[in-house]
Amino acid sequence: MEKDSNVVVDDGRARWSDLWKKEDYLAIWLGFSIILVCIIAYFNFGPRDEFVDKFDVANQIQAAESAKVPFKSITWYKALDDKLKLKGSNSEFGKFVSKWTKNPGSWKSNPVDSFIRTEKQANALNAKAMPKYEEAKARSEAALSAALIAEQAAASMSFKDDALNDEAKAKITVWRTAHKAAGDAKKKTENKPYNFLPTLLGLCLFFALILGAGIHLMGQRFMPFVKGFTVVFLIATLAYLLGGQTISKQYGIGAEAWGIILGMIIANTVGTPKWVLPSCQVEFFIKTGLVLLGAEVLFSKIMAIGIPGVFVAWVVTPIVLICTYIFGQKVLKMPSKTLNIVISADMSVCGTSAAIAVASACRAKKEELTLAIGMSLVFTAIMMIALPAFIKAVGIPEVLGGAWMGGTIDSTGAVAAAGAFLGEKAMYVAATIKMIQNVMIGVTAFCVAMYWTMKVEREAGREVGAMEIWNRFPKFVLGFLAASIIFSLIDSNMGKDMGTALLDQGVIRGGTRLFRAWFFALSFAAIGLSTNFRELSKYFKGGKPVILYVCGQSLNLVLTLIMAYIMFYLVFPEITATI
Amino acid sequence: MLEQSLFYRTKKFILILSIAFAFVYGLLPLLTDSFDILNRMSLFLEKTEIDPTRYYYTDVEQVIESEQYLRTVL
Repeated sequence: MEKDSNVVVDDGRARWSDLWKKEDYLAIWLGFSIILVCIIAYFNFGPRDEFVDKFDVANQIQAAESAKVPFKSITWYKALDDKLKLKGSNSEFGKFVSKWTKNPGSWKSNPVDSFIRTEKQANALNAKAMPKYEEAKARSEAALSAALIAEQAAASMSFKDDALNDEAKAKITVWRTAHKAAGDAKKKTENKPYNFLPTLLGLCLFFALILGAGIHLMGQRFMPFVKGFTVVFLIATLAYLLGGQTISKQYGIGAEAWGIILGMIIANTVGTPKWVLPSCQVEFFIKTGLVLLGAEVLFSKIMAIGIPGVFVAWVVTPIVLICTYIFGQKVLKMPSKTLNIVISADMSVCGTSAAIAVASACRAKKEELTLAIGMSLVFTAIMMIALPAFIKAVGIPEVLGGAWMGGTIDSTGAVAAAGAFLGEKAMYVAATIKMIQNVMIGVTAFCVAMYWTMKVEREAGREVGAMEIWNRFPKFVLGFLAASIIFSLIDSNMGKDMGTALLDQGVIRGGTRLFRAWFFALSFAAIGLSTNFRELSKYFKGGKPVILYVCGQSLNLVLTLIMAYIMFYLVFPEITATI
Repeated sequence: MLEQSLFYRTKKFILILSIAFAFVYGLLPLLTDSFDILNRMSLFLEKTEIDPTRYYYTDVEQVIESEQYLRTVL
């Protein structure tokens, strides 16, 4: 994003000192430092050897069962459950990182619950949930007994009787559903007491030090930054608190939205204190967060649902993005190209994360990012309710409905909610399609950065040489892509089981993701604290941003539905039947 | 004048913050209770603990579940 709308374009000369003085590079070093610590902690000091042994045992059991039984047997599933229990985040380092990066949690009527839960409260919650768990557990055990009997009956005929095999498969499916329900019910009996206040203080200090070091290298003063940063961190914490309330979450008003709202209210009423402004390092926070986000962009996820998923998520999305951008430029004549592309990416790719990545790549103004995200939140809240209701009303099948929602609703959480509201299979398809779209962020940010550097930012009639392209190119995008490529390579070389347990459930979900979330929360708090409402309201004039979003989303809805239908029902009906 | 100005700004801060809180914690719950579908979604989200505000796939537990289910069946 632009630091200052009046800033003159860089003279284009790169220096070696840029590597330790420029914001983009410092964001890369900081992001990669965190990534490196997580990789070393999990790979060198984590439970890797223990996992290797346990995976071998489970895989041998599954292989033996697959050779013997023509369907997935109870023993096969139990071995799968043993594999799924293996998570890197359950290691000592994982627990340490999780504890010290905790943000205020959910609450319903008492905000204190988001910071503190006493042992008495935890025990009361567990006791309340216990009867439902015992009921679910009994149902699961009954379903398991029935499945065992059916499987033994099929085994007695050496699995040659199709009717007995089908009966066994059906009973095992019932057991799996009951088993999952029992697992979900069990989680609600495992509440633990907590107090996040000391860890929040520790985290604030940690961030102040590492970010302050970066600020100092950029030539700014360390102590003034640290002093003001406490306020930015406080706003981000309050944003997490306010966004943790159940109704606020339902309507999509989470920590990021509250960070902007709270910050803007302060900035435009009492006024952000002058000593806080040097700490509102929006771009530094966002760029570091984006480098960390790169680690979560795993290209292997693209094939999670096969070719249909690729077409729905990776073919329709760029078409919608480009068409919406062209529509915005040629028809609506949007006054700001950067606002246009940020809204187009936000709506077509995957909401907030895409908006952040693209806004940074094209150096959009923070007000433009705020506007794009605000619109996305409003329409996401509407679509999360309206789409599943419409799908149910017209009788669209779950798989098609899920694919449709996955490709059109902006935020992954809302997609999961809408999918689950429609049905289990809809949720599986919707969430997976959304995940595949999320992976597109890296490519989108890179392409937008290239396009902006080579075409949009160049002066009319002037050719842009390779060196100038390099100098103008937002370097943090390279850090973002490098993290993505490195992690994708590691993931593909580790194999599915170890990749899931140590990389996905360890380094990423138990490491980089936790820091990334905080960096984005801090950046939105900083955006709010440094945003003038009058500047923001300028962009609403004529309603063009809303018209752009609505038109683009309408195209997205039509194309996604058509593509989902073609791929899931005409070209690959066997995939749909298997799901 | 400066004191008045600060007083006025503080008053504006409290007023706008109160409006924001009233909207999110007052009006939206009322809206939720007034419409069956919104109420059902609210109860559903509470039961499943799905957080609709989460924007990336690694923040959402149901994505892992979905990925694992599809890996098993496909």
